[in-house]
Amino acid sequence: MRLIRAELLKARRRQATWVLLIVALVLMGVTFLLVGLGLQFTRLLEFPQMYAIIGQFAFGLGGLFAVVYAAALVGADWNWGVLRNVVARGESRAGYLLAKAIALAVLLAVAALIVFAAGIVMVYLTGLIYNVPVASPLRGRGLQDLLDNMVLGYPVLLQRAALGFTVAVLLRSQLAGAVIGIALYVGEAILTSVLTGLTIAQNFGNLIGEGGFKPIGPEWYQFLPISIGGNVLNTLPGGSSAAGVAAGGGLEQLFLRPVPLELALAGVIVYLAASLAIGVMALNRQEIV
Amino acid sequence: MTNPPPAAPAPFTPLAGAPTSDLAVATRGLVKSYGRQPALLGLDMSVPAGVVYGFLGPNGSGKTTALRLMTGLLRPKAGSITLFGTPYTWHDRRRLFRVGSLIETPSFYPYLSGYENLLVLSAAGPPTDPSRIDRVLDYVGMSGRAKSAVQTYSLGMKQRLGIAAAMLSNPDLLLLDEPANGLDPGGMVAMRETLRYFTGELGKTVVISSHLLHEVEQLADVVGIIDHGRLIREGPLAELLEASGRVRVRVTPEDMTRAAEILRRLAPDRPLYGVDSGDQAGWFTVGVAPARATELNRALSEAGIYASGLEPGSDLESIFLELTGPGTNVTAAGPAGPPTGPPPMAGPLA
Repeated sequence: MRLIRAELLKARRRQATWVLLIVALVLMGVTFLLVGLGLQFTRLLEFPQMYAIIGQFAFGLGGLFAVVYAAALVGADWNWGVLRNVVARGESRAGYLLAKAIALAVLLAVAALIVFAAGIVMVYLTGLIYNVPVASPLRGRGLQDLLDNMVLGYPVLLQRAALGFTVAVLLRSQLAGAVIGIALYVGEAILTSVLTGLTIAQNFGNLIGEGGFKPIGPEWYQFLPISIGGNVLNTLPGGSSAAGVAAGGGLEQLFLRPVPLELALAGVIVYLAASLAIGVMALNRQEIV
Repeated sequence: MTNPPPAAPAPFTPLAGAPTSDLAVATRGLVKSYGRQPALLGLDMSVPAGVVYGFLGPNGSGKTTALRLMTGLLRPKAGSITLFGTPYTWHDRRRLFRVGSLIETPSFYPYLSGYENLLVLSAAGPPTDPSRIDRVLDYVGMSGRAKSAVQTYSLGMKQRLGIAAAMLSNPDLLLLDEPANGLDPGGMVAMRETLRYFTGELGKTVVISSHLLHEVEQLADVVGIIDHGRLIREGPLAELLEASGRVRVRVTPEDMTRAAEILRRLAPDRPLYGVDSGDQAGWFTVGVAPARATELNRALSEAGIYASGLEPGSDLESIFLELTGPGTNVTAAGPAGPPTGPPPMAGPLA
């Protein structure tokens, strides 16, 4: 517990924590202003559709930020040499890393809540600026939709953070962890798009069946770490979010059958656990110079 | 003239054979390499409990590697480490609860204050009362800057904070790697007093690796000298100085050849060093205990050679340099004449 508290103190005092959160909020604000330009077509800002846009920032862009932040959080211990102090004091390497992971999970939960809260406020501000009525976020299934967004999106956020976290442990550097983490994130999105295109080209005849358009799959690459999270995000209330699109979900959603939610969620959990296990095993074996 | 027989070197207490159960730290046959680069080639080190142990060696001799092995940062390729009388391995992390260390440069989160750095550090390892933080900051004279971010600290201040961090959990053993780096003279005195208190009053053990031989000489009870990954000398400092007793004597350059013959007879089993050129020309370093300085002076004067300088010539620096490497502007007096040959000892003799 004292390790987790210490990690939260470090995170709270670190500039990167606030910079990333503020950048996410500013980008979301700009997006809502742009959304407002298209309001003549909708005439109403409704939930859970607005949750989907907020979720795009909390879990889609947030996932990318989580990769960078997690890498910075854990990699800094190598860059600044402080891991040496901790290990030389007899602290358990696994315990230390897991405390860091738990603190990161707390921070990401708080960040997601802040983004959702700020997002709802921004929806109202957008309505005010463009003089468009805003439906109650709690109307009908509103509250349940909000909870579903959080409950389904949060594990994906954690899983993506764990990617940056583990890469930074393996490479012993915050910068390398962030760069490689982003490269994997973007690289997988590109790879799945290319593979989806190839799959469509190879199976074009099967896409149109007797009963009309018939998606194919799921394909193996839909189970890759970022894509599997994209599958979960695509099922969030409010429709397919751009979070999924960011993970190569654009073509996938049109032509490929999604991975069933339960399976996708299980995949996310497995990747999350595997990332942490790899990180812990790597740190336990590492010599610290 | 009849020369008295040379005094036998003072007895030297070997520590390497001591039972490790009586020692605060001991290593036996410790081997470590970085890839193909060997760092330790069988280190046998014995640190008695309750002393300040000066761990000396040239750059790259393996001092820091040894300390890293003792603190579980590295795994040895072979050999063993004993901490407080029982074997210590890579996985015995809890054994390190009794050890405080400052390895290489002091490392902290730059954006946190000195106090906050110690606070987050106290969360790791042994349970530590947060009230210790103020106390150790006070020990090292950092209370006034405890609330400032570490990135605003000078090297000396970081070093003080590093020493405070090492003492944070009131350890029984302190491993300090170059702790005097960047310290001003006041800081050095304070560190010396703190470490003396640590061992003298509290009965704890300190291992201090340093290049500052004068500092170690003032502080250490026992020294170990490492070179090329092996311990080449170890023992109580007083005995080491006694065993390596020397007198420095200066004659005129014209008298050097005759003086060398006389001086060699006084200590036939030990090397004679002389400087035959430059500012230090005429100085000899003779391998006799300082107590025999009068006898040496008499022998020279009976031969009509009058010394213009006579002083004790043995200090840790000269011993260290003699053991670990050659240097410049000093020559050994060969068996048949004035000082000639390759320089066996580094540094000026003055």
